[in-house]
Amino acid sequence: MADVKFQSEILPELDPSAPLLDVRDLQVEFRTRDGIAKAVNGANFTVNRGETLAIVGESGSGKSVTSQAIMGILETPPAKIAGGEVLFHGVDLLTLSKERKRRVRANHVAMVFQDALSALNPVYTVGFQLAELFRKHRGMSKAEAKKKSLELLDLVKIPAAAQRINEYPHQFSGGMRQRVMIAMALALDPDLLIADEPTTALDVTVQAQIMRLLAEIQAERQMGLILITHDLGVVADVADKISVMYAGRIVEQAPVLDLFGKPAHPYTKALLRSIPRLDTKGQKLEVIEGLPPVLTNIPPGCAFAARCHYAQDVCRTDIPLLETVAADRAAACHFSAEVINGE
Amino acid sequence: MGRYVIRRLLQAVLTLSVVLFMLHYLMSLAIQINGNPVRTFFGDKPVSDELLQATMEKFNLDDPCLKSVGDPCWGMFTDRMQQWSHFDFGTDFQSVKIGDSIANAIPVTLTIFAITTVVWALFGVTAGVLAAMNRGRFIDYLVRIGTTFTLAIPGFLMLILVQNIFGVIIGNWFREQFGRESFLSLIFQPTYSAKAPFLSLVIPGIALGVFGIAGITRLSRTSMLENLRSDFVRTAKAKGLKRTRVTIVHTLRNSLIPVVTVIGFALGDALGGSVVLEGLYNIPGLGLLAFNGVKTNDTAVVIAVVALASVVFMVTNLIVDLFYAVLDPRIRYE
Repeated sequence: MADVKFQSEILPELDPSAPLLDVRDLQVEFRTRDGIAKAVNGANFTVNRGETLAIVGESGSGKSVTSQAIMGILETPPAKIAGGEVLFHGVDLLTLSKERKRRVRANHVAMVFQDALSALNPVYTVGFQLAELFRKHRGMSKAEAKKKSLELLDLVKIPAAAQRINEYPHQFSGGMRQRVMIAMALALDPDLLIADEPTTALDVTVQAQIMRLLAEIQAERQMGLILITHDLGVVADVADKISVMYAGRIVEQAPVLDLFGKPAHPYTKALLRSIPRLDTKGQKLEVIEGLPPVLTNIPPGCAFAARCHYAQDVCRTDIPLLETVAADRAAACHFSAEVINGE
Repeated sequence: MGRYVIRRLLQAVLTLSVVLFMLHYLMSLAIQINGNPVRTFFGDKPVSDELLQATMEKFNLDDPCLKSVGDPCWGMFTDRMQQWSHFDFGTDFQSVKIGDSIANAIPVTLTIFAITTVVWALFGVTAGVLAAMNRGRFIDYLVRIGTTFTLAIPGFLMLILVQNIFGVIIGNWFREQFGRESFLSLIFQPTYSAKAPFLSLVIPGIALGVFGIAGITRLSRTSMLENLRSDFVRTAKAKGLKRTRVTIVHTLRNSLIPVVTVIGFALGDALGGSVVLEGLYNIPGLGLLAFNGVKTNDTAVVIAVVALASVVFMVTNLIVDLFYAVLDPRIRYE
């Protein structure tokens, strides 16, 4: 997989044979009035070129913070990266100088945000917002940059791009805005794209279109793609593997089919059960009882213990480690063997 | 946009008519209650009815409606409006044409306002932006304490302090060191000087600017802070743009929208402040004209100057609204 780009001007020391992204024991804390909130407590995952990883978890599980830590756009303070490594082809992005971190963004790692209406600047045309990437990172003239921006709008299938390029974000529909967002992220041909809840703010029909677009472009460009979502249903078709996050930890990691077929963590199992189903009409929706722990005060032991049907005394004292439970899959549960066998 | 401007102009005409009538009514009421100001010309001396009547006629103050309290004096109002429509604003008690006094005063007051606006836009906004960029650090506290300080000191007191410190103490020192005609001596003057009409307005203009700067600085700071937290600024960072570009292009422009609105209103306050300022520095501007008019009960002068001030206020706010539309495409009118 040694393509031309891998004599990167920005990161000359990178190792093309190392995985595209290897996050090791990432820890992020926030200083708050109520003490230190541990938003991410040792996240581990890898993404290779051409691979799609979905990070799934409920609000506050640390998935967005993880992605912003990889991008290097966390506000520090209040946030603080307390430990771990974010290896991009073997280069730890966390230890780079500010200037190099800035240049890695958009050139190597790019991000699509959740709500494109608020994520695009309301006072500039979409053309301006796209073109500035080419003008500032590639030093192109306005005319060249506009031409490249038009190509991008065509790539993300925005009709009548030549006219729409001069319009403002509020003149676009939700789906079209998200396409603009995606075009912006793809502008400098990044190696890794992080999409943080890219379809949450959209209609269901538009959601499918956007997911398909992302999957197509990813396959075509052989990028690594990290999809962050709270909706397991959205990622089922496009993801290769899934990491489930709970209270700042990865609790389960598995190829998508394995995870849907035989979850190895009680939380994953509960999540799957809570997806509304069409064939069980008239029954109560399944919910996971209780609330996730407060991040300033995570109890000792397993963070999910209080809501877990499998919980024993050991769960309240010992934190379960993320351990291999089968080929290519890992779970952080003292009873993963029982869970995976459906006992 | 064109239709919007026309609509706004029509609104302005309506507002102006109401303002004019209210002015006229209040001034008439003042005469009805206090007695005819013409009497003060003669002091304690006894005066014949014929002479009094002739003087009143000369200054158009002979209408019998001025003797019955509460009478709106419609006749006087329509007469004045007719006169004004020919750009004749009458004469003051010294028989000077009011139109000429105003024409001489306008450039002086506009110079002060230009300096004031520059102070707001340059120092006010910059201080607010710097405070926001360094939130919780030394600069932030300095700016916040400074703005509270300017708010806490009454305007007239601050003007007197500025006059004494910069005009008298520092100014005298410059005059001793470099002579009376040196650049610094001309800037640091205790009063307006006809020899250096622009330079001697610089310090009073800045003083008037400092008077209203707190609101603008605070608003710039809050507005910047709000936008710095916004999603589109996060996007700009994610695009790998430099910090200066993120701040100026993607945060400042959005933050200026409310600030511009407030500058329009603040200029209205400054109109009031200029009366005190011009009185204190003896600056022959609109403020002093109005001040002297009120002092001598010279109805025609007061009405003309205040009417002009309201025109200035309305035009400023129209410009502000148009500028607003330029800054924010979501508010393009029509």
